Amino acid sequence: MIDSPIFFAGMTYLPATLGFMGCIKPKIVFPIAILTILGIAGFSLSAILSGFETSYKLMWVGGIEFTFDQYTFPLLLGASLSLLIVLSIYRDQLSHYFYQICLVLLTALTVSFSAQDLISIYISLELTGFCAFILIADRNDNKSLFHSFQYLIGGGLAMLIYLIGVVQAFQFSGSFLISDLSTTTTTALCLIVAGLLTKAGIFICGLWVPNIYSHANRQSAAILSGCVTCAGVAPIARLSEGMEPIGNSMVVIGVLSAIIAALYAVFERDDGRALGWSSVSQLGLAILSPSYACIYAMQHGICKTLLFTTLSSPRENNTSNGKEQTSPTNVPEWLLVTIFVIGCLSIMGLPLTAGFVTKTWLKGDIPLEARLITSTSTLLTATVYARLIWSRVTKYKKNISRFIKNQANKKEITFGIEAVILSISGLLVVIFGLSYTGAYYYENIQNSLTAIVLASFLYTSVSGLQTETFVRPVTRTLDLVGAPFVVAALLLANLFYFKI
Amino acid sequence: MDTIILLPAIILLIIGCFGILNSKSLINSLFSLDVIDTATISIFVLIAATSGSQTPILSSAQRYADYSDPYPQAIILTAIVIGFATQALLCTIALRLSRSTPLLRYEDLEK
Repeated sequence: MIDSPIFFAGMTYLPATLGFMGCIKPKIVFPIAILTILGIAGFSLSAILSGFETSYKLMWVGGIEFTFDQYTFPLLLGASLSLLIVLSIYRDQLSHYFYQICLVLLTALTVSFSAQDLISIYISLELTGFCAFILIADRNDNKSLFHSFQYLIGGGLAMLIYLIGVVQAFQFSGSFLISDLSTTTTTALCLIVAGLLTKAGIFICGLWVPNIYSHANRQSAAILSGCVTCAGVAPIARLSEGMEPIGNSMVVIGVLSAIIAALYAVFERDDGRALGWSSVSQLGLAILSPSYACIYAMQHGICKTLLFTTLSSPRENNTSNGKEQTSPTNVPEWLLVTIFVIGCLSIMGLPLTAGFVTKTWLKGDIPLEARLITSTSTLLTATVYARLIWSRVTKYKKNISRFIKNQANKKEITFGIEAVILSISGLLVVIFGLSYTGAYYYENIQNSLTAIVLASFLYTSVSGLQTETFVRPVTRTLDLVGAPFVVAALLLANLFYFKI
Repeated sequence: MDTIILLPAIILLIIGCFGILNSKSLINSLFSLDVIDTATISIFVLIAATSGSQTPILSSAQRYADYSDPYPQAIILTAIVIGFATQALLCTIALRLSRSTPLLRYEDLEK
């Protein structure tokens, strides 16, 4: 493996450089950018397989330290794969600003995955926030502009809370390194973790997630769910690996997030919002175990990207949110439905998919009490995805009958390169599920299959409920902005008095 | 003694948080965010100045004994710039939204 600081610094900053160069020559830079992202994905994959770890200092002696280890590479692979999927599938419909912002986003993400000091994490998270803001506002109608405003003001406030925590930590330990955090006060830790949780979109700081996923474009939502929310996961995993009290508090927060957000998702009838709530719930599961958080977040990110890209069908004019949703062209619709179903099944945790393997790893690493809650959350998640699969398949059938009726004035859809990319990514999810055979023992398979069968029954029992009367979407700005304060206070109370 | 110096900044922080949690329009929360930003920067600068308040410049002339810590001050410069960028972006969005809802009240926009 290559072990030179120049290589890693280049890998970190090349995407952003290409992004800025793309302003001058957008047509030429685009293929180079795709190749770069492909190279990063390939390198991360080989590094994961060989267990490679390295660290380097920018500017050598006395510089800023970056570490590329088993927290960094899975998330890097997930982020670059989801960027690849979105950029190559929507390449005809995108303005060149979109891919430039994606490239800058990739650099910000790499920094936040590999940074070892709190200030680098602060800067990279702010940059991620700006990129996400532009991606949300890309749709350019009043609703999405207002939601991007909410996101920016909530994110800005969370990062200020984080900064106050950082300066308190500096006052006690005299450095900004994560490894020196163990000597600081509990207040500082609470403020830092509250800021990170908001950026990662974990309940209850993550109330912005469902609103934004339903009001952004499909491609923006895919990138947001695949990459942006992962930015907060790596620092949280590093913190909870290093410090016992933080790790224990993360179990409480993760369990709360996993259950409550999954309940919200069950009672939600809008597809985008349901996916958003389920994202909150899945990331809550991910932070339960520091060692497998990153690989779980990677699996979840790739599957969510696939789900968002295949959610709407090409022939359907989805005007429910005021503006037409774009969907991939040049892909036959049966393939879209197949990939959608594979992504759903992977998040449900069906054997033979990636979700099953990562769930097994996660379950093996968390306390026994939390494992029970994980099963409940799996059941609820499976209920949500049973509904999503059902509604997607019925929509497909309706489209087919309509398509046969007026086949004469519709042009035939060709099997383009987008279809190839979608099938490869769907295959990758399955191959990853087959790669670890240790997960396939009788009890485990029985466990997941029972959850899925039960969930289908549960779905038929809740499908008739008129949920609009008792579950209202959280859209008030006060709720979104106040959540980090509440979480900081809860964490403080936990660390001081309950000592869970 | 150290904490008493921080008191004005903490009061400013509380004022900002009160403002952002009670604002009725976009402009109010924008201003409140700026107040919190200022308070955070002041806390950073004041904590850096606990060791002394003289300029930390190396020169061949007389060396100060109690200079302030340059490290947090250098870092807070980044935070100032980021805060300014956030304000600029928020102002742009407020400008765009004001075309359809001139009063920029949350109750009109959250419908």
